[in-house]
Amino acid sequence: MSMIDPGAQHVISRLMRESLMDKALIAGTESPVRAILPNLNVVQIGGSSIMDRGHSAVLPLLDEIVKNQIEYTQVIGVGPGVRARHILSVGLDLGLPTGALATLAAKSSAQNAYMVSCLLAQHGFVYLEAPFIVQLLPAMLAAARGAVFNGIPPYDLWEHPPALGKLPPHGSDAGSYLVGEVFGARAIILVKDVDGLYTADPKTDPSAEFISEISAADLIRMRLPTLPIEPVLLDLLTRAKLARSVRIVNGLVPGNLSRALSGESVGTLIHA
Amino acid sequence: MHDTTANPILSELGKRLVEGSLSDAEIQRATEATPNFAILPWVNVVKIGGQSIMDRGRSAVAPVVDEIVANLDRHKMILGTGAGTRARHVYSVAIDLGLPVGVLTVLGTAVAWQNAQMLQYLLARHGIAFLEPEGFPSLPHYLMERGAVICQGMPPYKLWESNPSVGRIPPQRTDTGCFLIAEVFGARKMIYVKDEDGLYTADPKKDPHAKHIPRISVQDLLARDLNDLVVERAVLELMLNARNISKIQFVNGLKPGQLTAALDGNEEIGTVIFNAATEREDAR
Repeated sequence: MSMIDPGAQHVISRLMRESLMDKALIAGTESPVRAILPNLNVVQIGGSSIMDRGHSAVLPLLDEIVKNQIEYTQVIGVGPGVRARHILSVGLDLGLPTGALATLAAKSSAQNAYMVSCLLAQHGFVYLEAPFIVQLLPAMLAAARGAVFNGIPPYDLWEHPPALGKLPPHGSDAGSYLVGEVFGARAIILVKDVDGLYTADPKTDPSAEFISEISAADLIRMRLPTLPIEPVLLDLLTRAKLARSVRIVNGLVPGNLSRALSGESVGTLIHA
Repeated sequence: MHDTTANPILSELGKRLVEGSLSDAEIQRATEATPNFAILPWVNVVKIGGQSIMDRGRSAVAPVVDEIVANLDRHKMILGTGAGTRARHVYSVAIDLGLPVGVLTVLGTAVAWQNAQMLQYLLARHGIAFLEPEGFPSLPHYLMERGAVICQGMPPYKLWESNPSVGRIPPQRTDTGCFLIAEVFGARKMIYVKDEDGLYTADPKKDPHAKHIPRISVQDLLARDLNDLVVERAVLELMLNARNISKIQFVNGLKPGQLTAALDGNEEIGTVIFNAATEREDAR
């Protein structure tokens, strides 16, 4: 505040008249964050891995969710699956930009989330669109027994163009993680159709080793050719303030979700 | 269960997308070869600064409004607003209360919204509408009919805003939101209206030795790693990956005529930051 600027009408604050791009000012805001819903558990149901398999995969998992809701407050994020891949391929063929593709793909996961909410409705679960997550989630959790949301974050037209290609980088893994991070959730569990992470593809490489726990930074360094999660999730984890880990479990194996909720070491834990 | 392999209506890329992993770099690379369709190639995105313009009140805002009105028949404009001093106040209160970045984003969005609403009152007599993100599908109609629309500049990330690598201020604010609007629509120009003649080597409000930078590549600017910038760092990082927007321009809204000059294509005004990897300098 060395120079008085008579033009602008300021509200007095610590950040008044300062450039929010200034590195020292940004560093000066580092301080602890409070968890808003510390008892929350975010459970992400995979699109291709679970939803597209139909009732044989979905219904046992939902039964397990209902059984656990008595002890653990869960909100359920849902991924998009094969319909999103189809519309991505049509949209790419038409030349549409990443933001348009993200808006289109998000509708596929909204459909899956809505179906899950219908199947859980008799147990008091509600489907919440993003604006209602912002306004109503705590009230819904207090009044009802759970909530289902679209795993894809509401970035829509504002989705980032990726470094390589045009596919939207923030999918349902990133969106479910960010819900856990902002509320300071107790656990974030990604339910997929694989047991977790391996050092190589176990289907093609007999020397592939299972990874039960690893840091996001180490996983980035390993440069695995494919991951069962979105790579952007690893970047988000390196900047975590509250939600400092995610667990990947195989939802086709009954009991895995319950074990993960109770804190057992099942599947793969990726930590900040 | 789906059997997609026999599906003749999918393209080759479509088959790989449906069957493969979206996190596979080979599949991501294959999407590079698809065409780039510009949705609104004639639109200009103009960001009106919060602290730099709106917070100054009538003396700064009225001339900018006059200049916008004078350009309504000449250039199509999406007008995004910044947040400013009330955002700084609410950020400092919320940081003190221990609230997370996503909550700060919700709070900051409300301030940019207030500024957008005020700007719309001033332009309402010219038929200019204010659109929320949910209203963006009708944006082409308003642009064709009236030449401009107003939106608040924050991206609609709300609680889903990601953490910065340092500190607790939302890293993607109104500069970023407006940039991404320009990028997704394949806009003709991205112009930032602030209260400086563009980029300097330091904050000219504090350092009298600060030197003006009329034109610089985003690669060069990131390499300089300046302590302070005229624009959010997230915009510079996104510019490296952007497919449609290869340059952005900063003009001084306190100097009448600069916005019009920039809209007319004059890049000698203010500062132009360009992507050296995609922008052909000889095509200026």
